[in-house]
Amino acid sequence: MRNLIFVLSVLLNLNASVYQKNCVACHKNSPVKMDKFFYLYLLKYSSAIETKYAMKLYLQNPKKENSVLSPELLKRFKIKKKTTLSKKELEKAIDEYWEIYKIFGKLK
Amino acid sequence: MSVLKNWDINLRQSEKKTLRSFFLLYLFFTVVLLSFMAIYYYNTQKDLMLKDKRLELSKYANDEIKKLKYLQINFDKVPRIYPRDKRFKSAIYDSVYTKIFSLLDVNKVDLNEDIYLQNNYIIYIKDLESYYLGAKYVVIEVKDNGIWKKQVYNNLFSYGSIVLFALLLMGYFLLYLLLKPMREVISLLDRFIKDTTHELNTPISTILSNIELSNKHELDEKLQKRLDRIKIGAKTISNLYQDLLFLTLSEKMESRKETVDLKALLSERIEYFSLFFDSKKITLKQSLKDNVSLHVDKNRLTKLIDNLFSNAIKYNKIKGEIEVVLEDNYFCIKDSGRGIEKDKLEQIFKRYERADKSVGGFGIGLSIVSKIAHEEGLKVEISSIFKKETIVKVSW
Repeated sequence: MRNLIFVLSVLLNLNASVYQKNCVACHKNSPVKMDKFFYLYLLKYSSAIETKYAMKLYLQNPKKENSVLSPELLKRFKIKKKTTLSKKELEKAIDEYWEIYKIFGKLK
Repeated sequence: MSVLKNWDINLRQSEKKTLRSFFLLYLFFTVVLLSFMAIYYYNTQKDLMLKDKRLELSKYANDEIKKLKYLQINFDKVPRIYPRDKRFKSAIYDSVYTKIFSLLDVNKVDLNEDIYLQNNYIIYIKDLESYYLGAKYVVIEVKDNGIWKKQVYNNLFSYGSIVLFALLLMGYFLLYLLLKPMREVISLLDRFIKDTTHELNTPISTILSNIELSNKHELDEKLQKRLDRIKIGAKTISNLYQDLLFLTLSEKMESRKETVDLKALLSERIEYFSLFFDSKKITLKQSLKDNVSLHVDKNRLTKLIDNLFSNAIKYNKIKGEIEVVLEDNYFCIKDSGRGIEKDKLEQIFKRYERADKSVGGFGIGLSIVSKIAHEEGLKVEISSIFKKETIVKVSW
């Protein structure tokens, strides 16, 4: 039974997306959820192309200057480590992130 | 144009045409100028109206932004319903002009504008500093009530009419000033022609009557020939005098219609011109049908026939031919003269127009013929073979 659960969890993990494995996995324990980060980016960059570009730039080269967090939050959470994902994986993860939280089609 | 109304000698057709063209051109430019002024006035009034509306719409946009901000902050806590307002309709666009959400009636919005009018809607665009819900532009749309437009159209119509009237009046006086020197010259010429014509009458009549009274049998052949030449000269001047009299006074002369026996009249005129025929050794052929009559002004018809004979003689060659034919519904005079080139045939009835300038004349003969024919309801046709013959047919 224990072996079966292990195998299932391994299989599920194999099936999970880059975004789920690499982004949600860490952020689910963070006090600032994924959606909050998304709206902070949207508030600063507006369009899909600019928002995605800013996210990619920050994750590839995280710096105080290109973070959307306020100085207070930066002080509390520190600058994250540089991503280990390839360019393609990162773009895929960001695209999925955009699709989940985008405003288009959600307003009535 | 009434400026020309009192002239005794009317302006020639081409001059009238020039004046008409000037007046039309003036009218055209006046209308163009007024149109530009009207467009400028309309745009100025529209801008003023939009300026007045801008403050109100800016307040609406601020209200909408506050609601967008609230929705973004509470996006997961409240229903995701786009904020609506009874006073206006709105839409939000992102930084690359992609529509995020819209309640607008207009389909396309120019986000580069600040405020503008489109399909009877006033559109106001406000740039956001913080892009709530990703919106960089908030568009506010209100219906234009059109009151300003009615006011503008009323003003344009009333003031436009006044300005148009004033400009046309100015154009009229401008034309009057422009024509004044020309009018003075023509009036002087008119007076001169009238006075000269009047003065010509007495001596010509004296010469002709004295020639007629002289007893030809008492004179030797040489003197008789001289007297004939004087008579031809006097008659030529007399014809010219008659033409000038007709041109200057025809409009004041009443038409006295009577039944005219055409054979008798043509024979009389042939007799009158007999000396001219002889002087150029012209052979006259005539085929005049009896009992053909017309109800016309005899003096005018005589003038018409005289001019046709005068031309047939003047443009004929020495030892040429003239043939006069009278039928039930026409008479024609054919000469064996120089003929008229095809391209000049249409111009030949214009005053001062002469197809052949090698002989003397003023080019008024056929103009008189045409005028009389028109007034008496006759039809004049000219056909010609250049350097061979010319046939003038007068039909009714």
